[in-house]
Amino acid sequence: MISRLKKLISNLFSGSGKDDIGIGIYGPPNAGKSTLANQISQDLTGEDMSDVSEVPHETRAVEKKEKVTIESEDGRTLDLNLLDMPGISTNVDFKDFTEHGLEEEQAKGRAKEATKGIVEAIKYLDDVDACLVIFDSTEDPYTQVNVTIIGNLEAKDIPILVLANKTDLDDADPERVRDAFPQHPVLEISAKEGENIDKLYEEIIERLT
Amino acid sequence: MGEDGVTIEFLSKEKLTDQQFDEKLDIVLEKVQENAVLVLEEAWTPEEKSELIQSSMEQVDEDFPGVEFLGLDAGNTRLDKAKRLVYQKFLNEEYRRGLTIVGNSRVMEKIKEEKDTVSFLAKLEDESN
Repeated sequence: MISRLKKLISNLFSGSGKDDIGIGIYGPPNAGKSTLANQISQDLTGEDMSDVSEVPHETRAVEKKEKVTIESEDGRTLDLNLLDMPGISTNVDFKDFTEHGLEEEQAKGRAKEATKGIVEAIKYLDDVDACLVIFDSTEDPYTQVNVTIIGNLEAKDIPILVLANKTDLDDADPERVRDAFPQHPVLEISAKEGENIDKLYEEIIERLT
Repeated sequence: MGEDGVTIEFLSKEKLTDQQFDEKLDIVLEKVQENAVLVLEEAWTPEEKSELIQSSMEQVDEDFPGVEFLGLDAGNTRLDKAKRLVYQKFLNEEYRRGLTIVGNSRVMEKIKEEKDTVSFLAKLEDESN
């Protein structure tokens, strides 16, 4: 933890783009990672960074937005490289994509790309400085995939902020996220509606500066 | 899967203790692709679970969509964390009290997990098509 903090502090004062803090957005498929990435990117740069879709595994390679500057209410700023990760899952069945209307060959291609994306996202666990781990708060968050993501980040001493997303939906239950991961603070957000995104910036700056 | 059922194979901690993780992973993935469900009498670390995900993703094809897995691990109490620390720092090994269950995702369905209870439905081949 100490070496990681030293690295973060060194990054903060180096002034080099290469040393900006890399924040990974992790979570299972369809948790709202790309919606959040776009919300932040639109808010701070006026541009989207990822495609969004109802079909799982829309993001099949790591999407990067470099030099995104967030600012807290008291004027502190932080330069980030934002990394929108492919959703991590334990299986990718091309038949699931055909059920969403894709032709069989298209579905097989998408499945192949999705498996590569999952491997890439896991490998990036060694390279990120901090993580936003986002869960759909209408779903049960206590799954092996989610426990594995959180457990890996804990083992590597990577700072984590857990986000209970989709609070705009009637059946959202952010308490389940808190109950599943009581060792971490949980921020309730709606990435789609932009709810609590300012609070998210405050939390990131509070933890990393 | 057998002719009309699912093979569930139990591997004791005595059998697993002497094996390197890579060996265990190879055995698990080979048997899972033959549609067995394996119950291992040991808990896997988060890093080992992510290796399972990564290795299974590298083997996904039209016939093998990947795995489902369940874990009943020792908890996150201070005592559990202290035990883990003692095992890692002083005994140079992982604290493995718990169970790991791994199967082909076309076989394991309706997975339910709580911190102290897990369950799944083992699906027969003719029902999955």
